[in-house]
Amino acid sequence: MSRILRFASKEDFLATLRKQIESDREQILDILMPYPLPEAQQLMKVTSSRLKFFAFTGAVTGFASGLLFTSYTVLSWPLIIGGKPLISIPPFLIIAYILTILFGSLACFVGFLWLARLPELPRLVRDEEPMEDGRFAIVLKGESP
Amino acid sequence: MSAQREERIERDVLAALGRPGPLWILGFLTSALFFGGGLALWGYQVFRGLGVAGINHPVSWGVYIANFVFWVGIAHSGTLISAVLFLFRARFRSSFNRAAEAMTLFALMTAGLFPLIHLGRVWVFYYLLPYPNERQLWVNFRSPLIWDVFAVTTYMIVSAVFFYVGLLPDLAVARRRLTGIAQKIFRVLSLGWRGTQRQWRHYGKLYLFLAAFATPLVASVHSIVSWDFAISIVPGWHTTIFAPYFVAGAILSGTAMVITLVAPMRSILKLEEYITPSHFEAIAKILLLTSLIVSYAYIAETALAFYGHNAAEAGQFRYRMLGDYRVFFWTMILCNSVLPLSLFVKKLRRNIRYLFVLSLFVNVGMWLERFVLIVTSLSHEYEPYSWGSYSPSFVEIGITLGSFGLFFSLYLLFLKTLPVLSITELKEHQP
Repeated sequence: MSRILRFASKEDFLATLRKQIESDREQILDILMPYPLPEAQQLMKVTSSRLKFFAFTGAVTGFASGLLFTSYTVLSWPLIIGGKPLISIPPFLIIAYILTILFGSLACFVGFLWLARLPELPRLVRDEEPMEDGRFAIVLKGESP
Repeated sequence: MSAQREERIERDVLAALGRPGPLWILGFLTSALFFGGGLALWGYQVFRGLGVAGINHPVSWGVYIANFVFWVGIAHSGTLISAVLFLFRARFRSSFNRAAEAMTLFALMTAGLFPLIHLGRVWVFYYLLPYPNERQLWVNFRSPLIWDVFAVTTYMIVSAVFFYVGLLPDLAVARRRLTGIAQKIFRVLSLGWRGTQRQWRHYGKLYLFLAAFATPLVASVHSIVSWDFAISIVPGWHTTIFAPYFVAGAILSGTAMVITLVAPMRSILKLEEYITPSHFEAIAKILLLTSLIVSYAYIAETALAFYGHNAAEAGQFRYRMLGDYRVFFWTMILCNSVLPLSLFVKKLRRNIRYLFVLSLFVNVGMWLERFVLIVTSLSHEYEPYSWGSYSPSFVEIGITLGSFGLFFSLYLLFLKTLPVLSITELKEHQP
């Protein structure tokens, strides 16, 4: 069971949120915002996102796979082209660099979907309460009056 | 007060998604006609063979490659505006970023077609993909053409993700405000976004990381495209200045295209309140800066050619300035280096009509730059017996016009299907 307090302005929203946190923080189930408010995040003592681990893992995987993949392709059938060494680090670094960005970005996006619990499958079919209506809102425990 | 203002932002931006007006229909039909014509000519080329194009010995790269470089360059400004300016916290970006990101995506789609068109036998395009052929040989990773495949494909994927992520909260707004089939589509596209604390926390980080990943692409993708030329030993191409010169040129052309697209969009969709002359002034400053960098590169490469005492290199630059293509060369100088100097005048930087006309000149100038660079170098290489000239055939000209048709068709469709400004950022940055 939950009830929603909606606010026409961010000032009212922040004032009520501050009061609610001081009086009974446990009552707050969630807050809804049409755009991010750093003040609200501070009041809620939001911890840092773990998305950085996805970014780092994706980037490192991309870099390693770029170097390993290019090296594998030249070693699987050794053929000298243009008098260059089989494992030519400078051009292979370009591929590794590009894959660092590609894998890092995709890992970030997948990580975001995972951490933000998206997509919310029931909502793809129909809207359910509590529905965001473009206003700031605080979702509290308990039934609506 | 702020709730009313936010309501108005949503209403104004989403009003663009309404029934198309006569101007939009006219623009779309014209663009679609050009695109259809280009497509038909490509079909003709596939049927008859690459001989219907003007490319031949010694100029084996013609307007198809010029178009590829031009469109990849156009894409760059989108990433600059959306990612780099985000990292620098430039607030004026919110008036341009959505249009610029869409432009990036459409320009890359258009650019991606040209290597395929240039192949002639388009059905063997998969030779470019990294896979072992029947002899278990892989593609040559030391070739700049393969770097290009990786760079442009990555750029396209990252730009698409960045575009979609930027849209996500606005798709939820559209889901709430629209009805019928549009609402159903936006409901799926918005993934059930509600704007909870958890969602915003990770969203902020995601946007920052994507901007950080996309920023090096601004420098690297066109650098890699420039190496298609610079790695060779052709006079006029074999120079270390190419990477920064191409990147600056890309941002110059992309910025001009943003102005070309946004200036009419602003008045047709009645978004004057959100895209102000001050915003245009900021974009004009980027255009002026990149024009100065490009002009410096023109001077530097010409000076180096003559100072280096390399007969072929000096001959190449003399040919560019005084040879068969001199009109294109001097038009390029006029459009890219001389006319943008007028932007030192503040009044002109804030005059949107003037900026629109100037942006058209810069677009022409930047296309000519690619043409001059590619064609003059190949037509006037080392040995005089192999010199020759090139003029594009009607098929090449038609396909080039068709590419503009495709780009503008996609952009016009975007105007009628997705929010053209970032509603969330406009709300966030409202006074």
